[in-house]
Amino acid sequence: MALLKVSNLCKTYYKGENKIYALRNINFDVEEGEFVSIVGKSGSGKSTLLNLLGGMDTSAEGSVCVEGVNILTMSEKQLARYRKFTIGMIFQSFNLIPTRTAIDNVKLPLIFSNYPRRLRETRACELLYNMGLYNRAMHYPSELSGGEAQRVAIARALANKPKIILADEPTGNLDTATSAEIISLLQMFNKKHHITIIMVTHDKETAGRVSHKTVLLSDGEIIKISTNPNP
Amino acid sequence: MNLSDIATLALYNLRRNTMRTILTSLGVAVGIGSLAAMISFAQGITGNISRSMENNDIFTGLTATSRSFDLDAPGSRSTILSQDKPEVPLNDSVIDGIRSWSEVAIAFPVVSKPAMVMLAGRSVQASVKAVPMEMGGYPPFANISRGRFFSDAEEARVIVSRQLLQQMRIRVEGDDENITSGNGTLVLPVDSVIGKDLTIITRVFDPTKLDMIKSRNGELPLRNEETAIQIAGIIDNGALSSGVFNGSDVFIPSDAINYVPCIDVRSIYDIMDGKTDRTAKYGYVHIRVKEHNNLKAVKYRLEEMGLQVFSVGDKLDDIENIFLMLDSIFAAVGVIALLVSVLGIVNTLIMAIYERRKEIGIMKSLGATQWQIKMIFYLEAAIIGLVGGVCGVVGGKLASQAASSFANTQIGKIIGCNLEFFDFSWTLALMAVLFSVIISVAASVYPANRAAGIDPLDALRRE
Repeated sequence: MALLKVSNLCKTYYKGENKIYALRNINFDVEEGEFVSIVGKSGSGKSTLLNLLGGMDTSAEGSVCVEGVNILTMSEKQLARYRKFTIGMIFQSFNLIPTRTAIDNVKLPLIFSNYPRRLRETRACELLYNMGLYNRAMHYPSELSGGEAQRVAIARALANKPKIILADEPTGNLDTATSAEIISLLQMFNKKHHITIIMVTHDKETAGRVSHKTVLLSDGEIIKISTNPNP
Repeated sequence: MNLSDIATLALYNLRRNTMRTILTSLGVAVGIGSLAAMISFAQGITGNISRSMENNDIFTGLTATSRSFDLDAPGSRSTILSQDKPEVPLNDSVIDGIRSWSEVAIAFPVVSKPAMVMLAGRSVQASVKAVPMEMGGYPPFANISRGRFFSDAEEARVIVSRQLLQQMRIRVEGDDENITSGNGTLVLPVDSVIGKDLTIITRVFDPTKLDMIKSRNGELPLRNEETAIQIAGIIDNGALSSGVFNGSDVFIPSDAINYVPCIDVRSIYDIMDGKTDRTAKYGYVHIRVKEHNNLKAVKYRLEEMGLQVFSVGDKLDDIENIFLMLDSIFAAVGVIALLVSVLGIVNTLIMAIYERRKEIGIMKSLGATQWQIKMIFYLEAAIIGLVGGVCGVVGGKLASQAASSFANTQIGKIIGCNLEFFDFSWTLALMAVLFSVIISVAASVYPANRAAGIDPLDALRRE
């Protein structure tokens, strides 16, 4: 059984009296341990799709089944649990809390998941160490470079050992070299720890290179799903 | 997320905007301080009145008279006395009978004599009242502030009220200077009052002047008689502000009252009314029941005997209602102040939602539940309430102490003793802090619900 199965997913909204399809009849599967990229131009519905996969938005038709459970019909409490334990989210603009240090940002999901208090510090330090940011633990986001901030965001996303990482244009705000660094970091976690990665990007070339599966979206519809058995 | 995590997050959020937190807490402090001060003032006033009533047998005491007053017929003495009821003679045998009732603790005739009293060369008008020895175990005589109660029923000693000394402008060393001070105040050591003679000047019948009545020149056949009696103790005025001993300044054992000769005014009236077969010895009898519950039964039995009974104690429910109303009025004033501070909390938390909208969105994207978000806001409000409550209670206590001191410097001189105008108990302080926390959390319900309801997607989109 696929880890994640999207079936007949449609997302609509109204502009005046006109019904607009943000997503139309989306169908695809994601297997455990896969690196999947969703590519397309701006406004193609990539981020809308990712938000539906992340349970941030549930107002859509069709289904998004994760481990056999449709997250579109989950209660608020079930969604919170899903976001806490099943997925980790990475954003283009990092979304770190500016008034908290790097280590505090990483510890935040551990607080919500009731991770033992005495082990939180160790877990957060371990994650930052793996990201090469051990010496930046007590720095605030404003004191970090874009690449460092995104690595803190990745550490935070990994804190509760999720099965899936959802990355919304994680390199969108970064220079080429730092982008490559972030992508290879995600690849490393995918290969080494078998974490499923679903990444939204406009960079078709990178997506094709690093992903097992690339879903090409245009005007809310899938126009092509290409695969790469050896990314 | 356990309580300590929530507390850590809440404290962190409050520290982020220290000035706003301080100002909001200050608002709560003012509200709680006002409320606590108002309630303590109402309790203080109520307590003073209640204590005074308790000390003066208001709740357990009643006074009965053989004379039936017709209150609907004001005017001369003859109309005040109701003619349609036979007068019950109040004499020793009747009083002994009342004493034997199981509900009665003490029963004694009310005997007082008007006099002029002198001490250390200063004199004032006073009323000398007989006190039975049994009263030594009851307020107000159970706690004599200086000296002692009578040791013997026939002991020729008096207890004087502090008010009497105040009227003479005499202050005993060690007494509150606020009560008696200023020019002409005579400060005496305790042993210059206790153990010294009080000269009691009374008017007595002078048979040598009987011709004066016949000549109708307006002068009564009376002369002054001086009696010197040693002072045994001094009693505080506060305890004498109401009740059967109200208006009296000099107290003497019942069996020793005859040491003070005085014309019995009632006898003159009796002579004038043509009554020669007088069997009533006393005008009034005061009865103290063992329990407040006995009051109605004893009152009923006395009325059955044909006595007119006066008692405030059976109006206790009405008195309590008045006290409740007093408390409510003061509490209402405090609550208004508190409501203003509650609006401050609501405002602070709503501002916090606007400022932390994105942060809340991030938290929700990381798996925070609506309940966890609410709890953070509830605890922030609770901390504001706790800090504000504690500061309010401390401030209220200090302000009430200052106000009480000031009031005593002004009113103490008039009433002759210091009063506790504010009853700021530990219970009140704890209740005020608890109330502050509860009301603050209640004020945070709406902001917390708004925060918990934030759509994470919407919050994260807003940069």
